[in-house]
Amino acid sequence: MSSEVREQPQIEAVREAFEQEFGRFARFRGAEASAGVDALKSSEAETLLREVGDLRTRHTGKKSALANLKKMIGRVAPEERAAFGQQAQQLEAAIIESLEEVESLIGNHVARLRVERELLDVTLPGRRPRRGHQHPITLVRQRIEDIFVAMGYTVEDGPEIETDFYNFDALNIPRAHPARSPQDTFYTSEGFALRSQTSTVQIHAMQRRKPPLRVIAPGKVFRRDTPDATHNPMFFQLEGLLVDRGITMGHLKGTVTEFLRRLYGPQTRTRFRPSYFPFTEPSAEFDFSCFKCNGAGCRLCKGSGWIELGGSGMVHPNVLRAVDIDPQEFSGFAFGFGIDRMCMLNFGLDDIRLLFENDVRFLEQFN
Amino acid sequence: MLMNISYNWLRELTGARLTAGELRERLTTAGLEVEAVHEAGDDFVLEIAVSSNRPDLLSHLGVAREVCTLAGGEVRWPEMRAAREEGRTESFTSVEVEAADLCPRFTARVVRGVRIAPSPAWLVARLQAIGQRPINNVADITNYVMLELGQPLHAFDLEKLNERRLVIRRARAGERLTTLDGVERELDAEMLVIADAARAVAIAGVMGGAETEISGATEDVLIEAAHFAPASVRRTSRALGLQTEASDRFERGIDYEGQLRAQARAAALITELAGGTATTDAIDVYPQPLTPPLVPLRFARVRELTSLDVPPEDSIRILGALGIELAGANGAGRSAADAGGQGAASEATFVSPSWRADIRIEEDLVEEVGRHFGYDKVSDTLPAANVAGEYGAHEGRRREARRALNACGFDEALTYSFIDTAHDEQFELLPGLVRRAGESSLVTLNNPIIEGAARMRPTLLAALLESARHNFNHGTRDVRLFELGRVFAAGVEAGDQPRETEACALVATGVATEEGHAGASRELDFYDLKGALEAALAAMNVSSVEFAATSARHLREGQAAQILLAGNAAGVLGRLADDVAAVYKFKQPIYVAEVDFTSLLAAGETSVRYAPLARFPGVVRDASLVADRRVTFAEMRRAVLELNLEQVRRVTLVYVYEGERVPEGQRSMTLRIEYRADDRTLRDQEVDELHGRIVNTLEEKFGAQLKR
Ligand SMILES: [Zn+2]
Repeated sequence: MSSEVREQPQIEAVREAFEQEFGRFARFRGAEASAGVDALKSSEAETLLREVGDLRTRHTGKKSALANLKKMIGRVAPEERAAFGQQAQQLEAAIIESLEEVESLIGNHVARLRVERELLDVTLPGRRPRRGHQHPITLVRQRIEDIFVAMGYTVEDGPEIETDFYNFDALNIPRAHPARSPQDTFYTSEGFALRSQTSTVQIHAMQRRKPPLRVIAPGKVFRRDTPDATHNPMFFQLEGLLVDRGITMGHLKGTVTEFLRRLYGPQTRTRFRPSYFPFTEPSAEFDFSCFKCNGAGCRLCKGSGWIELGGSGMVHPNVLRAVDIDPQEFSGFAFGFGIDRMCMLNFGLDDIRLLFENDVRFLEQFN
Repeated sequence: MLMNISYNWLRELTGARLTAGELRERLTTAGLEVEAVHEAGDDFVLEIAVSSNRPDLLSHLGVAREVCTLAGGEVRWPEMRAAREEGRTESFTSVEVEAADLCPRFTARVVRGVRIAPSPAWLVARLQAIGQRPINNVADITNYVMLELGQPLHAFDLEKLNERRLVIRRARAGERLTTLDGVERELDAEMLVIADAARAVAIAGVMGGAETEISGATEDVLIEAAHFAPASVRRTSRALGLQTEASDRFERGIDYEGQLRAQARAAALITELAGGTATTDAIDVYPQPLTPPLVPLRFARVRELTSLDVPPEDSIRILGALGIELAGANGAGRSAADAGGQGAASEATFVSPSWRADIRIEEDLVEEVGRHFGYDKVSDTLPAANVAGEYGAHEGRRREARRALNACGFDEALTYSFIDTAHDEQFELLPGLVRRAGESSLVTLNNPIIEGAARMRPTLLAALLESARHNFNHGTRDVRLFELGRVFAAGVEAGDQPRETEACALVATGVATEEGHAGASRELDFYDLKGALEAALAAMNVSSVEFAATSARHLREGQAAQILLAGNAAGVLGRLADDVAAVYKFKQPIYVAEVDFTSLLAAGETSVRYAPLARFPGVVRDASLVADRRVTFAEMRRAVLELNLEQVRRVTLVYVYEGERVPEGQRSMTLRIEYRADDRTLRDQEVDELHGRIVNTLEEKFGAQLKR
């Protein structure tokens, strides 16, 4: 401890002045300190913090009694100067230590309370406007188009209201075929037909382009079916056509298989069943191995392991002739299936009428 | 058409030892789609879906030929000889065919002294198993023979025929006949009838008459088996709304050589089961016998079309088993007999059977060979890639528009292309769809399937609003829908093909919501609809679009805008007029838009040209002006831009305010004007001066007052 100096009382006066004012913060020092702080509400703590700040300004600032004391050092008798200086510095250090200890204790408490107050529920939904949804038929159609475009096909379309030539004659549909009857096909008052299959686009495409050609035609078609869970008088079909030299049913099957593998996975298999379509000869319906059970049998495939998808065949020579393509030089295949049906399968729909009711609760489910 | 086939019956005709399950599998593989197999007593019934080109399969005989082809063996013909025969048919009746064009062949045979009674149990069981209703022995036998051989027959009570003779002629206009079902029918002069000396007694190929039918008192029976022209039977059946087992077969085409065989079979069964004595022959009126067509086949063609390697002898075997006989072979100078041999003929000629009108060209033979050789042997091969794929025109722009509308909260809808006639005149149509003033451009269906829905839609809005209604009915009142699809208008000249235009329609109502949040963020209004449309246009990068106030039939006055595409009208948007809303029972405001999407797709795109970045800072000044509320933003903006001040770089809207502190009928609009020079920093004084000129102009031009 330094020796007594003459200015000792002034030093003591500064200490006492500080300690008197600091007295109310004393509870935030020592053993009880943290209990004292934890009891503070955030508004009290903030006030106290501000007050400690004021105290610091008043007792350690440029105009404080402590500052004056330090200015006195030069005026103290030379023999006491060192001792006085030392005591003044000790006092300053003690005051600053007291202040900082309390300041940081309350300061930390305030910061803790702020974190607590500003805690977020990160599970609340983010802020974004409700998004609309694409129609399931659009989703499926675009996916199919993407696959076939990658396989070298051009997407084509034609009128939805057709002449008999495109809807029937050019497709080799016999005059007496039931499909021509007003029971099955819609007719306008001027005698035009609503196209009953997208095969009409085959004809337009073959008139527009010369072989070799690869075309798909997705589009709306119309048949006079009363709406029920599995029928709509309007639905979407996709027609595919390839005409080149030396094309066989093997190419047809390979193409259909490749498409279905890209859509449903590499394990997909296909099979042909002989069938009849006026515009193909030979004709076949095609099935593919159930994508849900991979052929083992399940509810989706009604236990058979196979899902019926569409019709296909080698383009009938009469159809080729109708568009001036020589069937001895070129052969081709065509296939078609329902996009709506694929929607039903892919999304597990149980009622096809849902597709055109536009119930928001339905549409919202597709993304 | 579904045909029920009895498994036991089929076994009698084929001797095949396959189980019903095996038959189902094999027949389906060969192209006869067996939809179901069910048990019926000690028998099984196979339900076969018969395609329209194979009427021969509407008989057990036809299916038996397929079974023999796939399982080997030959068709076993049933008993064809009558138990008792005596006298020629012409001694008891006569037949005159007046309308030979509608009746290429007519046969008649008589069985005298029958005893009409219920059929024996085995016959009843067999008919019932495949869904037929037994009547009496003679009627049941005609039915049985049809189901067995495919030839419809009819039995007349000979006694009841005037002068005991038949005349096949067209009906007299207005002639009446009560058919077996008890309905009196009026005939027209195009219908073929079987008549006696006095009157029609049957509608040829469709149904017999009640007065001459077999009854308990019948003793002498006249059996008729004919070939009627398919088109004639079809027309008559449609015109009378009367479809029968007979008409189904005649329409599709029967075996044109099958009549005498059916007569023989019927005579055998009647004499066995109902007693009596058959005549020894049948009257056969067949003035112009049909000759079976010959069809060539190059054996290599099978492989060329199917990729299947079928040896010629297998092709010949398969075709032969189906009754498609080899007529001759050539190539390498071989004879027909050698055609099946090793290194045999490269091509041959086959006879198209009288029951197979679908066998006419080489490809038809290829299919017969292919399907029986087995499509399961076709392997997957990909054609060599030789061209690049291509999306439909504007597919990219279409997808962008959809995505933009989705982002604005609109769900994509699809509605029927035909709408109710009640919507006629409700909506203002797209500009291109109107034909000529005063002339209807609507396209009408003759045969709608949904009652009233006889119009090919000239607008998407009618059905889209119905969809909104559907949602309301199911408790969803916040609905934003859009549809892309074609609308229709009659061709420019009468008889022209209808015109098809792609349209895009939007419907918005209710409140804006946030994903995952319940409750409204605010009410939707006109500017939400316009914003969505603008978003779609921006996504499509369509240039030169403008909106202008307009009026439209289905839109509320003062809340309707026209969309102009390079100055041309391309659709309207706005709030649905109250009278139209009332039709749909809407009580909340609905905003609708419809634009000509074909024109949008065809419109030019804005090309991007880089503008150098400003080297000197700009200055922004706002001006709040109170003016009549009819003064539009577009007008104010144009007035500023028309001053042509070089330093004015941008005029944008800050906000619009109406209400307190703004006089009624007026509103306050705050514009933000951005000033900048390319070569220096503008001084405040300069900007003050420019801004002052602009404010003065707006004040003078629109009677506006600057709000300070
Ligand atoms: Zn399955």
